[in-house]
Amino acid sequence: MAGFESSMLAVLSPGNSGLAIFGGIIGCGMIIIGASIGIGFIGGKAVEAIARQPEVAGRILTTMIIAGALIEGVTFFALVIGFLAVNWTH
Amino acid sequence: MNLISQHSSILAELNPLEPVISVPLFTISVGGWQIIVSNHMFMVAVAMVVLLVIMTFAARSRGMVPKGLRNLIESVCVYLREEVARPVLGENTDRYIGFIWTIFFFILTLNLLAMIPTEKMIFLITGKKNHFGGPATANIWITGAMAAITFFLTHISGIRKHGLLKYLASLAPPVPWWIMPLIYFLEVFSALVRPFTLAVRLFANMLAGHILIATLLGLILIFKNYGVASASLAFVVFISILELFVAFLQAYIFALLSSLYIGSSITSEH
Repeated sequence: MAGFESSMLAVLSPGNSGLAIFGGIIGCGMIIIGASIGIGFIGGKAVEAIARQPEVAGRILTTMIIAGALIEGVTFFALVIGFLAVNWTH
Repeated sequence: MNLISQHSSILAELNPLEPVISVPLFTISVGGWQIIVSNHMFMVAVAMVVLLVIMTFAARSRGMVPKGLRNLIESVCVYLREEVARPVLGENTDRYIGFIWTIFFFILTLNLLAMIPTEKMIFLITGKKNHFGGPATANIWITGAMAAITFFLTHISGIRKHGLLKYLASLAPPVPWWIMPLIYFLEVFSALVRPFTLAVRLFANMLAGHILIATLLGLILIFKNYGVASASLAFVVFISILELFVAFLQAYIFALLSSLYIGSSITSEH
């Protein structure tokens, strides 16, 4: 237990970038949870819409791809900021 | 195994960020200035030459019925003009379609050239470690430059069509006066953030794909056995196919969003 406490104090002390790495990686994980829920929702709704009306499957597929790319754009934006948090040591 | 320990980076590196960074290749001195040419700038020049050659050959073939290369380029261009640009641009399609076509084919060529491992091929042929080609769209400055061009094109074309004050007034939809400051601030903020999201979307997609491929290939150097090498190579093949799809998709998304932004700034809805 003493080793655990001292290593936690070493991580949390100033001058050590342990907490920054921890925060950055946890943030990236949470961003991915949000993005995959959003894109999965869109994919499910698109499949439902194609099942209801198969002759507009092409347009629905295009719309799904566009919405997925927009959500992924925001995701990568936030992932870049989360990745920069690992390097922000000052 | 001996070969891998002697030349510790034949076709893979332990640092996955190594293949995606831009390194200076040579320096051109023009007048009193030194222009440092990096490998990403060289790939932009290679993409320019490739597009000039291919488009000249595609436009040169005669006859009313296109076939071969001209058919391919023409079907892509007609799709972009009719399905992407004309629903949002309307009668101004022919003014801006050259820009949309250029952006699409330029980003597509850069993305596809990034999938060719030129530095590894040159290492296999000549045996000299180099850093020749690279994913040029994995460079925030190159994608940022294209997003900045889109930004200036949308707002300057909007200002030229509506006049400066009417264009600034048309940025926000007509809402009651007590909520107008918030709505106007949100609209201006989103108009300023749009080029950044355009640039970062393309940049992060290409960067993440190439870092993933480099990481998977670097696993072979860490584990150094055939089982990991075969599994890693199978996964790298799958990820490379996905990267080819993402190359087309990101070029299409950039062109689509550029035409959407131009269309929303020159339309006279609100």
